[in-house]
Amino acid sequence: MAGVDATGANGVAEDSSWSGPLGARALAQCAALATLRWRILKNGLRSAEGVFELGARSIALLFAFAVLGLGLGALMGFAAYSQVSHAEWVYLPILFWLVFFLWQVVPVFLASFQEQFDMSALLRFPIDFGLFFLLYVVFGLTDVATILGGMCCFGLWVGIALARPELVGWTALAVGGFALFNILMARAVFAWIDRWLAQRRTREILGAVCMAALLSLQLLNPALNPRKRPAPVNVARQAERERKMAVEFGPWLKTANEMQKWSPPGLAAVAPRWFADQSPVAAFGALGALGLYVLAAGVVLGVRLRAEYRGENLGYAPGRREIAQPETGWQLGGSGLIAAAIEKELRALSRTLPLLYALGAPLLLVLIFSGSFLRATSRGHIFPLALPLSLVYAQLGFTQFFYNNLGVEGGGIQMLFLSPAPIRTVILAKNLFHALLYALMLLVAGILATLRLGLPDGTMAAATVAWLSFSLPCNLAAGNVVSLMLPYRMNPGRMMRQRGSRANALLGLLAQTIVLGVGATVFALCLHSHRLWLAVPIFLALAGAAFYALASVLCKIDGIANRRRDLLIATLAKKE
Amino acid sequence: METAAIQTHGLTRRFGAVTAVDDVTLSVTRGQFFGFLGPNGAGKSTTIKMLTGLLEPTAGKIEILGRPFGAGALELKRQIGVVPEGMALFGRLTASEYLRFVGRMYGLDRETASRRTEELLDFMQLANERKKLVTDFSHGMQKKLALAAAVIHGPKVLFLDEPFEGVDAVAAGMLKTMLAGMLNRGTTVFLTTHVLEIVERLCSHVAIVSGGRLVANGPIEELREGVVSTLPDTAREQRLTLEEIFLAIVGADGGQEKPQELSWLA
Repeated sequence: MAGVDATGANGVAEDSSWSGPLGARALAQCAALATLRWRILKNGLRSAEGVFELGARSIALLFAFAVLGLGLGALMGFAAYSQVSHAEWVYLPILFWLVFFLWQVVPVFLASFQEQFDMSALLRFPIDFGLFFLLYVVFGLTDVATILGGMCCFGLWVGIALARPELVGWTALAVGGFALFNILMARAVFAWIDRWLAQRRTREILGAVCMAALLSLQLLNPALNPRKRPAPVNVARQAERERKMAVEFGPWLKTANEMQKWSPPGLAAVAPRWFADQSPVAAFGALGALGLYVLAAGVVLGVRLRAEYRGENLGYAPGRREIAQPETGWQLGGSGLIAAAIEKELRALSRTLPLLYALGAPLLLVLIFSGSFLRATSRGHIFPLALPLSLVYAQLGFTQFFYNNLGVEGGGIQMLFLSPAPIRTVILAKNLFHALLYALMLLVAGILATLRLGLPDGTMAAATVAWLSFSLPCNLAAGNVVSLMLPYRMNPGRMMRQRGSRANALLGLLAQTIVLGVGATVFALCLHSHRLWLAVPIFLALAGAAFYALASVLCKIDGIANRRRDLLIATLAKKE
Repeated sequence: METAAIQTHGLTRRFGAVTAVDDVTLSVTRGQFFGFLGPNGAGKSTTIKMLTGLLEPTAGKIEILGRPFGAGALELKRQIGVVPEGMALFGRLTASEYLRFVGRMYGLDRETASRRTEELLDFMQLANERKKLVTDFSHGMQKKLALAAAVIHGPKVLFLDEPFEGVDAVAAGMLKTMLAGMLNRGTTVFLTTHVLEIVERLCSHVAIVSGGRLVANGPIEELREGVVSTLPDTAREQRLTLEEIFLAIVGADGGQEKPQELSWLA
């Protein structure tokens, strides 16, 4: 119609060229979103916390890019170059598998620390599903695993291309497809886990499965390797053992190798090789199969996002209507404020999968690293610091408990300020609960490490316990202050799409590094002077000072909390 | 002479250059049902936050039950109950766990907290939902739970910030009955709401804030007479509703200039 432009009478675009994921409207919406992100960033700088947060983010990003990313990328590139230039194609899939695990596993370990944009906030706008999907994928490109994985892929491509310049294009296709698969796969896993965690029943089932899996893994390793201490190496006997293992596991490994060729890492690795071997049909077949994997990952993600796009509310899970019955659940003894607060903490923890996961995941690291300590020396001795190092890994799970101890309170933070209980009592209850949990988890980790490594040296065990008694009050004291100064809201129903705080993470990391540094220095000096026993009184003296510091912090906590209550309520009680 | 339940002197709160509450002085006598009204952004919730210890005043004094009140006045906090703007709920607890926790935080022993929890759940018609997590509650159910938590310890002064928002008619009727009962027992209720019909039915006194300043304060009849006296003689016979009084005091535009119409909806 003459005189009518793309916008209708009410100013909303009506022309069909505006629609579609890459239409003009989508581009305008992308521009609006970019402006929104910029405004949020700029407005965040109005407060000192915001400036500090930005600084912390920049450092974290620089570290991920410059140190980890470049380092890993160069390592992968060098390894790929070395293998391809020596025509050892058979080992190339191992590199792709390493990247695959890095890409898929690291986000799960970092899930609770990463900030993710909540896409459900966009659903009120007329956003096309294609754009919704695209934005969900694009926002995920800024997480640490994608940066690291992307740089590893770039390293692999450069390494292979330098070794065989004629393969530069085909390798780019294979590595690019592999990277795209990983991006979609990681996002699909996030989206589906969030879905399962949205319902109480599935959340509890998943939590139980996670814990059971972690415990099983812990027990599996010692069961497979019942020998507690490695015997001194006998070359002839070891060669005989290796030969037997080759006979026993050889066919199994061969089958596994054949099967892995059909997996995305395997396909990405064999495609350049087949091009190099002048087998274009097989190479195109591998690229096609990789494309199918990408499509499948996209479909899995699309199914989930389609449900969210249609308005599925993850926060609401309709429950079965139940007949009123008097409460029969457990209650913690004692009527005091501390008992009430501890009971609340225990109940909330049992329903907060991100925290349960944060507790359990480091135990997996204990499993992995304690195995490497067994092989740390060829003379049959276990690495002397194996036990304290294993417990340090287990301690990592407490970072969020210590350094964001009000994070899961949500709107309840107002209740804590309204009630006649001093905030000090609430924080003290949290500290007691966390200390109890800490002791319990480290006891489990210690038992598991002992099962794996054998009984530790008595002096080393005593020094480790003394160090832990120094580390605990230090972390609690620093954590109480950081929790009040730089709190962030945790969504207990979500494991992946959290709004974290880099500034909080950085300060927590700094405090933990100092505590670890003091411990490492004392251990190193005492081991060097062959007087390990001396570490016990030193750590106990430090523990005394740390407990004094904790008591001082607790004495001042009411003042700090009351001065910061505006920020605490605004940060923790805000709606997402 | 009996001291006032709530007394403020020159209560002021500034956020940077913005003065949200400006020199508010008011007094609420014991056993009074007091309505605190104002347009959006007038400073009602900020005032309630200061009166309940959630926000530090920039200037001015607060006295609750005749004693100075601040964040550290723990004994006084035991005497007050609050339904704040954000409802102050813990999403990861069930309704009964939450109420028991709140009761114990207010110093009730375990048995008393459990007994009152059961009574409150029955009264609020939440007994069938006792095992549901608070995060899975509807907005109206959360309001009812927040109100139950505010009264579990039998407060002498009750602060309610929009308690009827999102609550269905049946539940609202029930809540009004409960509040009337509390009033008969001598509880002082300080209420902010935009539902003026409720204020008119329940409150004996109201204060109206606009732009952070107190613009009217007194019994509803007194305010009505004040407004009627400004009307032309021909209009003085009609009985003004609270809504008409409110609009006459704060202005139909809520104290702000507004354009007459929207250009694209005209």
